[in-house]
Amino acid sequence: MTLVLDGLRVRYGAVEAVRGLSLEVERGEIVGLIGPNGAGKSSTLHAIMGAAPVAGGDVRLAGASLLGRSPEDVARAGVALVPEGRRILGELTVEENLRLGLAARRGRVNGSALDPAFELFPMLRDFRRRPAGAISGGQQQQLAIARAIVAEPDVLLLDEPSLGLAPRVVDTLFGTLAAIRDRGLAVLLVEQRAQRTVALADRSHVLANGELRLTLGPQDASDIDRLIAAYLA
Amino acid sequence: MRKLPELVAPAVLVLATALLGLVVSSALQTYFLDTLLKVAIVVALYVFIGNSGVLSFGHISFVALGVWTAGVLTVPESQRAAIMPGLAGFLSHATVGNVPSLLLAACVGLVFAFAVGLPLMRLSGLAAGIATFGVLEIVNNVLRYYDKIGPGLNAFSSVPETTGIWQATIGALICIGVAFSYQRSRFGRQLRAAREDPAAASAAGISIYRQRLLAFAVSGALAGLAGGLYVHMLPVEIDSLYLDLTFLTLAMLVVGGSGSLLGAVVGALAIGGLDSFLSAAENGVDLAGWHLDLPTGTAVLAVGALMALVLIVRPAGLSGGREFSLGWLKR
Amino acid sequence: MTLAVLNVTWQTLADALSLGGIYALMAVGIGLVFGVLRLVNFAYGQLVMAGAYAIAYASVWGWPSWAGILLCFGIVLALTALMDRIVFRPLRTHSPAVMLVATFAVAFLMQSIAVLAFGQLGTIASSMGPLNQPWDIGGVQIRKIAIVSIVVAAVCLALLQLLLRRTSVGLHMRAAAMDFRTARLLGVRANRVIGGAVLISGLLAAVSAVMLTARNPQVTPIFALDDTIVVLAGVVLGGLTRPVPATLGGFTIGFASGILGGALPTNQSQYLPTFLFAAVILVLLVRPNGLFARADGAAERL
Repeated sequence: MTLVLDGLRVRYGAVEAVRGLSLEVERGEIVGLIGPNGAGKSSTLHAIMGAAPVAGGDVRLAGASLLGRSPEDVARAGVALVPEGRRILGELTVEENLRLGLAARRGRVNGSALDPAFELFPMLRDFRRRPAGAISGGQQQQLAIARAIVAEPDVLLLDEPSLGLAPRVVDTLFGTLAAIRDRGLAVLLVEQRAQRTVALADRSHVLANGELRLTLGPQDASDIDRLIAAYLA
Repeated sequence: MRKLPELVAPAVLVLATALLGLVVSSALQTYFLDTLLKVAIVVALYVFIGNSGVLSFGHISFVALGVWTAGVLTVPESQRAAIMPGLAGFLSHATVGNVPSLLLAACVGLVFAFAVGLPLMRLSGLAAGIATFGVLEIVNNVLRYYDKIGPGLNAFSSVPETTGIWQATIGALICIGVAFSYQRSRFGRQLRAAREDPAAASAAGISIYRQRLLAFAVSGALAGLAGGLYVHMLPVEIDSLYLDLTFLTLAMLVVGGSGSLLGAVVGALAIGGLDSFLSAAENGVDLAGWHLDLPTGTAVLAVGALMALVLIVRPAGLSGGREFSLGWLKR
Repeated sequence: MTLAVLNVTWQTLADALSLGGIYALMAVGIGLVFGVLRLVNFAYGQLVMAGAYAIAYASVWGWPSWAGILLCFGIVLALTALMDRIVFRPLRTHSPAVMLVATFAVAFLMQSIAVLAFGQLGTIASSMGPLNQPWDIGGVQIRKIAIVSIVVAAVCLALLQLLLRRTSVGLHMRAAAMDFRTARLLGVRANRVIGGAVLISGLLAAVSAVMLTARNPQVTPIFALDDTIVVLAGVVLGGLTRPVPATLGGFTIGFASGILGGALPTNQSQYLPTFLFAAVILVLLVRPNGLFARADGAAERL
């Protein structure tokens, strides 16, 4: 279940947000996508989900193109997005938010469908009846990821999950992402926190102005500022 | 003075309609009168809705109050007991002339709109629509049953029919003139700025509430004036000052384009023409040798369909929200 | 037997309860569409009118009552689906005010079609007549339709709550109403689900049509127009944004209208609309979320 971006171009009206981006994410690996604000990272994820205007190139999952499908169809094909800002439905309970994630699930849904999510995020089990708007930011982030996981996707896309979270919480979060990777998912992680992402991911691509500028590996994590500055200058 | 074409274009259209109305047979003349009157009402609507971007379903209540004011005060005293048996004492004897009745109608419209606007102008969007609808309901209900202030369910017969083509035209032109002055004034421009970008306008110190209230009051005055003209045209009754007229005038504004004065006038003339023609056809009409006899309800159907179509396909209306400019002529 | 205060008879009380029930159903229909589409469907009353005409003509053609009811449901559902396709969907991205005006246009459109097709005089739906017969309960006469409509309303509302709260379809509907974009990204077929909610509101309109024709068999092009306006007022008073407060608002207004209409002398009850809409305006100014909604609910929905 490899996710392939092939010369992807995204254009909003007269503005090109992504210019010919190519990358691959395979099962059991985390690929990072980092870069400054406005680099086109979010647009890339939205384009994969069918929620942004694609002007050229292709997006393929296991060889089949995802272009032209509606967001709900892309979700049902096995691609789950954890959106920027989490987008939790605050008036529904934690459990209802999780059950919502089941909408994209292929195959039958039985009573124990939510168990894997609770294993990964035991805290959610305690809060299952609470309104999702009443839990903390870090817990909401866990809920957003759990919601994506219950759909049993092949590919997981995350849009700046560490936004607004304290460093220790981010540590836990990234640990969970590693565990998810180990379960065999293909993970594409969009982040602004360059160093941690580069340290975690199998490889990280640096995006600026919609273009791929540089690819880094975990070994570059300690020297990252210098490396990035050199390429973005 | 560059903007003068904005005023002249609608005015010319109105004058053209008036001149046409003078040369047709007297049977058809009623339709022209009616259309000119609709221009006045729609321009009144536009002054508020077009400049503020806030919906009002209640303006016909101002028209109704104008009708009542001008009507009650100009029915000859000898006739009052017949059509307005419950009339309160001082109203039974007060009488004014034609022009004063129109002025008073405008004043009542102004004052009432101001009073209603004081609480209501805080609202916008759907809430404003529903609240102004409530005003329409209340005024309709009260005028219908409270016979101390008017004829209640009876029609306003015996009112001197002073609204001929000239009075209607002058009335429509006054409305257009006031609308033009308002939108060119500092107040109008502030309100339009607030409509485009409320946050920026507040930051610039504009009081959205006050500007809306002003526009509402001015449009109330114009609507009241239109009501006064209306009652001097034919015997009006409360049922024709309710949902149907609200719908028709809103349709005219929507189709013409609620963003500009030209749109309001074009919409009123176009839909007014269509409605008049179809209504005449419902009664049987001869057109270039063909006899046309449409079933009742065709007119409303056509107007309704047109309005729905415009809303779905081109929500900015025929004029696209733009005023007339000389640039249009140079193409 | 009378209830001494306000000169209310048991008959009036039962009638008021049944009117409350019918208005509650219409309120839910209107509130449901608002909840999922942010759209106040001014043309809702015309859907009820269409259903009433179906029943009327079925009885004119000599069809049995159940066939008339089926025709009613068929026609109302078809019109609802048409309305959704042609009017609601293209306008979804516009402001609620534009949509109100659009549904206003549709309402007049439908009314004029009815005038053209059926004339202004009205048709009698006699098949529902038996329901208007009274039952003798402990010496008191209560119309059958009064009891039937209370029961039917209660059942419909319970079923709807069940659907919304306990099924995944209901969950999807609520989610699509709260955050359309995110729901889609999660795999919810948001468009379909919202279409489903609109159809349910159509179903409720059909049920209301059946019960209203039983109460008042004369069907005209303005059938249910006044009722719809009153229900709309009730929904705004109760709380437009949630189904339960909307229902309570509809019920309360129906019940109050029934009691006051039956108990007050005519020269006072004439001004009912004035008090009603004065209350609506007051609520819009002071508690825009309605009287029954929680005060801490999202205040910017209207």
